[in-house]
Amino acid sequence: MKARQNGRGSNDAPHGCANDSLSGRLLAKLMPLNPRASGTEGGMTVVSARSSEWVRPVTQQDPASAIIEIDRVSQVFQTSARKDHVALSDISLTIEEGAFVSILGPSGCGKSTLLYIVGGFVSPTSGAARMKGQAITGPGPDRGPVFQEFALFPWKTVLGNVMYGPRQQGVRAAEAEAQSRALIEMVGLKGYENFYPKELSGGMKQRVALARTLAYHPEVLLMDEPFGALDAHTRTRLQNDLLNIWERDRKTVLFVTHSVDEAVFLSDKVVMMSKSPGRIRQVIDIDLPRPRRRNELLLDPRYQKYVVDIERMFDESDQAGAPA
Amino acid sequence: MMSRFFSPNLVLGIAPILLVIALWQGLVSFGFAPAVLLPPPGFVFGRLLQQLVTSTFQHEIAATLIRLFAGFAIAVVLGVSIGIAAAASPAINAVVRPIVRVLAPLPKVALYPALLLLLGFGHGSKITLVAADALFPILLSTYYGASTVEQKLIWSAMAAGSSRYEILFKVVLPAAMPSILTGCRIGLVISCIVVFLAEMITSTDGLGHALVTAARTFQAVDMFVPLITISLLGLVLNGLLGVVRSYLLRGFPEA
Repeated sequence: MKARQNGRGSNDAPHGCANDSLSGRLLAKLMPLNPRASGTEGGMTVVSARSSEWVRPVTQQDPASAIIEIDRVSQVFQTSARKDHVALSDISLTIEEGAFVSILGPSGCGKSTLLYIVGGFVSPTSGAARMKGQAITGPGPDRGPVFQEFALFPWKTVLGNVMYGPRQQGVRAAEAEAQSRALIEMVGLKGYENFYPKELSGGMKQRVALARTLAYHPEVLLMDEPFGALDAHTRTRLQNDLLNIWERDRKTVLFVTHSVDEAVFLSDKVVMMSKSPGRIRQVIDIDLPRPRRRNELLLDPRYQKYVVDIERMFDESDQAGAPA
Repeated sequence: MMSRFFSPNLVLGIAPILLVIALWQGLVSFGFAPAVLLPPPGFVFGRLLQQLVTSTFQHEIAATLIRLFAGFAIAVVLGVSIGIAAAASPAINAVVRPIVRVLAPLPKVALYPALLLLLGFGHGSKITLVAADALFPILLSTYYGASTVEQKLIWSAMAAGSSRYEILFKVVLPAAMPSILTGCRIGLVISCIVVFLAEMITSTDGLGHALVTAARTFQAVDMFVPLITISLLGLVLNGLLGVVRSYLLRGFPEA
């Protein structure tokens, strides 16, 4: 029997716990939020945003439609060399209910960390994230994550995975099963209910993961590079299917990606981030008609302009930021 | 890894066993060892079949099996629960870690005289010894498995509304299962060895006791019968554990 893979998942963001004992690791995994995370300090004083030209301030004028507010969030990790690494610096962002918002940036810009903060999996070093005005203090079924690594329970079948959420929410077994079967059909996996995740392809696994999250009816979907591990063809198909599913009920989606095409194709709004330290570079509204059809959109000059403009902005910042 | 049952590997697995038996037969046939002291294998297996139907020998097997199962079961329950608890709580880990470090390398058989005095010659002392010896591999592999559960499995369960306590049973325990079962496999082999050893040292019944009694009275055939029996038992139990394992790990890629 070979040793199993060690604890660090493929591209885990560090989760802020310096304790290197195994026990500390499981504990950190079980309670990622520590009590100091309330983030109220400094809330009264007027702080001038350090990177004011990039940061769109939290807008208070239309609180009815704001579902998630990220208020001056910073995240500092201690690296193994005992140096502070600023993953996120002074991020403020408001996400409106029903919007499809992508966070776009190079790897290492802290975009996943920002998503984990909204998920309540990681507590920010300073600042606060709020969901419908309530400070986020931990994970909850109102915010459903979908991870790049799928994170399906290997000991459960497709049906068992999808039923997990409703059962945890106290839905009766028969009802949870009926709902889950309907969801499995919706993501296109009818007939695979009794398969185990290991028997599915990557694309199918991600469909199951999406169904598992949708099953407990989160108000916000938090998608962490969900199609990043898939081949181009599967990726395109899942993007189309995600849009079709999303267009039925228009849940709020926060979607992390490093693909410009993907962000423009899917989103109402693209939040461009730059790295070291992770900052919001620009927020771009994508004004393209819905429902979006891939074959139409690829020929649409407006779509092409968005993609080219965003890529150019990243290139400029790379040249400006590179030390030669 | 173990060769699977009912596969071509089974043939390859049996070949060396046949070779050992042939060597054994050869030693006797070519007169390297007198048949009185080293009886030929056919004779021993014949005797084994003969013994298996007698109630006295069945009683010896039953005594050994009871001790083995009870000790192993206690080790599994304690090892898994302490391992998970230590992985989940630094306080429990702080208590458990030094004890494990002190007791794990200790030859548990050295405790046997004390156990005999405390618990007597019956099942109690042997079950305790088996449990003490099988505990540590199970505990350590459970702890390791529970500590290396993928973060995102836990996050997925948290988002679905599971509490920390529920996650221990619904995520950490099943996710650590491959590791736990590897510990159990090691623990089972150790249990077979230790129960036999304890019965050889001091006992009034059991397979180990049967061997020692036969040896003391120079009944070479009867000496080999319990020996063959315990290895066959070990083989069968390991096979059973393999069946349990492939059932429990049916969803895991590595199983």
